[in-house]
Amino acid sequence: MSNILTILVFFPALAGLLGFVIDKNSTRVYGVAIAAIEFILSLFLWMNFDSLNPTFQFIEHFPIVKDFGISYYLGVDGISLFLVVMTTFMTLIGMMSMTIKEDLKNMVITLLFLEMTMVGVFLALDAIMFYFFWELSLVPMLYIIGAWGGPLRVYASVKFFLYTFSGSLIMLVGMLFVAYSFYSAAGAWSFAITDWYALGFDIEYQFWLFLAFFVGFAIKVPMFPFHTWLPYAHGQAPTIGSVILAAVLLKMGTYGFVRFSLPMFPDASVMMITPIAILSIIMVIYTAMVAYAQEDMKQVIAYSSVSHMGIVMLGIFAMNSEGISGSVFQMLSHGIVSGALFMLVGVIYERTHTKYMSEFGGLASIMPKYALVFGVMLMASVGLPLTIGFVGEFLVLIGFYKVSPILTILAGTSIIVGAVYMLALFKRSFFGPVTNEANRKLKDLNANELVSFIPLVALVIWLGIYPKPVLSIIDNSVKTTLSIMEQKAITPEAKEIIISKNSKEAK
Amino acid sequence: MVTPIQVTLGELNLPLLAPMLIAIFGGLGILVIDLIKSNLHKSLYVMLSLMIFGADLFTVLGTVQGRGFFDLMLFDGLSIVSQILILIASMLFIPLALTSKRFHEFSYPEFFALFVFMVAGLQFMVTTDNLILIFVGIETSSLALYALIAMHNRSHSFEAAVKYFTMGAVAAGFYAMGSAAIYATTGSVELWQISEALSLGGGNANMLLITGGAVLILVAFAFKLSLFPFHTWAPDVYEGASAPLAGYMSIVPKVAAFTVALRIFSIYIDLGIESVQSIILILSVVTMTLANIMALVQQDVKRMLAYSSISHAGFVMAAIAIGTTKASTAIFVYYALFMFTNLGAFTMLWISRHKVKAFSDRFDHPYEKFAGMIKIVPMGAVVMALFMLSLAGVPPFSVFWGKLYLMSSAVDAGYIKLAIIMGLNSAIAAYYYLKLIVFMFLREPIKSVHIVHYNISRPLMVVIGIAVFATVGSVFFFDKLLTFVYAMMSVSGF
Repeated sequence: MSNILTILVFFPALAGLLGFVIDKNSTRVYGVAIAAIEFILSLFLWMNFDSLNPTFQFIEHFPIVKDFGISYYLGVDGISLFLVVMTTFMTLIGMMSMTIKEDLKNMVITLLFLEMTMVGVFLALDAIMFYFFWELSLVPMLYIIGAWGGPLRVYASVKFFLYTFSGSLIMLVGMLFVAYSFYSAAGAWSFAITDWYALGFDIEYQFWLFLAFFVGFAIKVPMFPFHTWLPYAHGQAPTIGSVILAAVLLKMGTYGFVRFSLPMFPDASVMMITPIAILSIIMVIYTAMVAYAQEDMKQVIAYSSVSHMGIVMLGIFAMNSEGISGSVFQMLSHGIVSGALFMLVGVIYERTHTKYMSEFGGLASIMPKYALVFGVMLMASVGLPLTIGFVGEFLVLIGFYKVSPILTILAGTSIIVGAVYMLALFKRSFFGPVTNEANRKLKDLNANELVSFIPLVALVIWLGIYPKPVLSIIDNSVKTTLSIMEQKAITPEAKEIIISKNSKEAK
Repeated sequence: MVTPIQVTLGELNLPLLAPMLIAIFGGLGILVIDLIKSNLHKSLYVMLSLMIFGADLFTVLGTVQGRGFFDLMLFDGLSIVSQILILIASMLFIPLALTSKRFHEFSYPEFFALFVFMVAGLQFMVTTDNLILIFVGIETSSLALYALIAMHNRSHSFEAAVKYFTMGAVAAGFYAMGSAAIYATTGSVELWQISEALSLGGGNANMLLITGGAVLILVAFAFKLSLFPFHTWAPDVYEGASAPLAGYMSIVPKVAAFTVALRIFSIYIDLGIESVQSIILILSVVTMTLANIMALVQQDVKRMLAYSSISHAGFVMAAIAIGTTKASTAIFVYYALFMFTNLGAFTMLWISRHKVKAFSDRFDHPYEKFAGMIKIVPMGAVVMALFMLSLAGVPPFSVFWGKLYLMSSAVDAGYIKLAIIMGLNSAIAAYYYLKLIVFMFLREPIKSVHIVHYNISRPLMVVIGIAVFATVGSVFFFDKLLTFVYAMMSVSGF
């Protein structure tokens, strides 16, 4: 199976093309089947993955544009492996739980193309290929939000597209500069990330290049001042769009930091620890407060997404293996949990056509199963121990504690503030007397929905209790990244920080 | 006492003229056929023109590089690349005459004859480094083009032709004055001699005249390339001309003009005359930015595409200021890739061309016309969306590779800010391309109309097919294209 990565990336797109032939009424089953095959393929990848080998595996590498150093270069390591598995899993679950009736065929095909771009982003090891999937992922999402979204859908989708597109063009200039530096140093063009890892930069160059990449990634995450597109996109997107957006697309940004920024610009990254940590904490606290003020359930979860991504960012810039591994784990857990929460909101929206908390109340007595699933996901989102959310958040906080205890304490309030807005949501919608009589007729989760949610709940609890199989593989690769950083760092301060924060290894 | 010129036929190197002669005799042949038997169907002339261009292209590919015809002609790598682009674009354009509806201009064989003459003129223009022959080439091609525009036979077309003619005449005036200034300082109209004279005598008192000459010529080319502030004719002319001709004008005359501009200004850039370089840079940046902003507010797709092609031209113009081999390569790689996409987009407009203005009193192709196109002609909407995404520079579609390479050449030469401006401009541009996609995919159809595919015919579909193929498959041939153009550029020293 030396070409499994190619299959993983292009199988959904190929299936999407063939999907045009499928009859309208059968496309849904087709989509689920394809997503299931893709998921099984990704599990197969996991099984064949050598967990002791921290470097890239299943590499496929051949040139596309020789004179310009662009190559077809795929590979997977511990960091990307689980993001790929999570992507295929969430696509499958999203596809299964989809309730869209209108133009279902277009939606299925679009989702399959989107899946190609998402898997491609995580597996590409050539910067141009990465950029290709990165940019192309905007197009299906634009269509999903714009065609199936709420009343402001066109505005939201165009805003989403332009915001990310502008950021990534700056990143592209950065990539071109790195490639040129590589050319000046090595005498040949290359856009391969592994080649770039070997390249050292002056502090000043590192700083500017870091900023160029930062703009691209930070908009996607979305970091605090660039986050304004996200509530619109979530607010207007159909359920499936929100699920994919929260679960996978946001992770591309944080993944970019781990894959590009840290190992390529270690000194600049160390320099930027404090500013980024401050931005992240603003993200955590400010958006949590905004979330508390929302009336719309979906907006609460949208803002909570931003808040959680703040934790992920903080972990990445802890510069030690606990922090970064915790971040990667938090990406997975946030993907699963926020995806599930958006689906849950979708379920109730489907039944009542409203997302306002004021319309609900006492739902727990009418829809006990729904309330249970919601409760589990909510606890995971808050970061209750023994749920998936706790592991990542805890590791990130431990990791960052080594950098700055004060900032860590501030970030730790996220668990408290998170609990405040989430429990407030839960209380207002699920407990108390039934305020809206029309809600009494609501049906609890049906079989189809249960099939979608049970795996999610199982995963949330399993990985919450026993995260080791996932975490150890991630940790291996994170340590490799850190050792690359350590070797590359030129300023003594940066070297010292990277080493001292990883004292455990030194022993 | 004038010594008699002793030239053997071998030294004349007449084979260099073969490609242009094929075109000229081909054009004459078309006229002769019409004289012998009139009222022949346009399809005959379309096929004849295709054959002429095909033969022309083969001769170009087979010609050995060199000088000839009293050293007037210079058949170097630059000229070969640019002729190939010109001929391929012409071969894509000609079949667009075979629409399902009848259009006035194509019933005249003269249309095709003029078109072939125009191509011959453009070929002369790019195959010489003599300022006078360049002038002759420009005028031959432009005069033919004015007539072609006017033949579309609508009041807008006459307006367009007259506008283009007037502007062209002004540009020609500027060109003549600039050449005169250069001749006055260097005593030659041959670019290689001018280059020598400038490098020997550079820096003395007539610097003003030298730069002045360059600026005058730059103005002339700014008209031709529709650079700010000489771009104002372009949207009106494009709107008045038929859609394929507008698409053609946004590519072929510009390729030729870029070739000549590269020949002339590379002398100045290589000599390090910074004033000329900064003027070009400023023109380029202002053009791409302003045209983008203007394109944002257009209500008509054709006018939007007109502004977009102005912006693309400004984008490419920066490459001349950068002046490296990579930048020169980028010009032609960019246009080679842009050609298919842009011609494809204009062809889509051509397909939707209808005789009455159904949607707006003012415009032929307002955005509303394409509303909900995905519901009426799904395939057409997808294809048009592809072209738009490509123009916006979304990978892996063709224009992205051109942008990538051009921005990379800017970064290499140390113009980081320029590269960032280019990036931001692409982001602005994405908005107006998206606007059309939004109309096609996300809006409901306004009137139930078959108008968006009113003009469809098999040849048009073939052209669209080729354009789609080149746009989507560019990743597979970009490598070859790059190697070829780069080799050609470095051989001819640009």
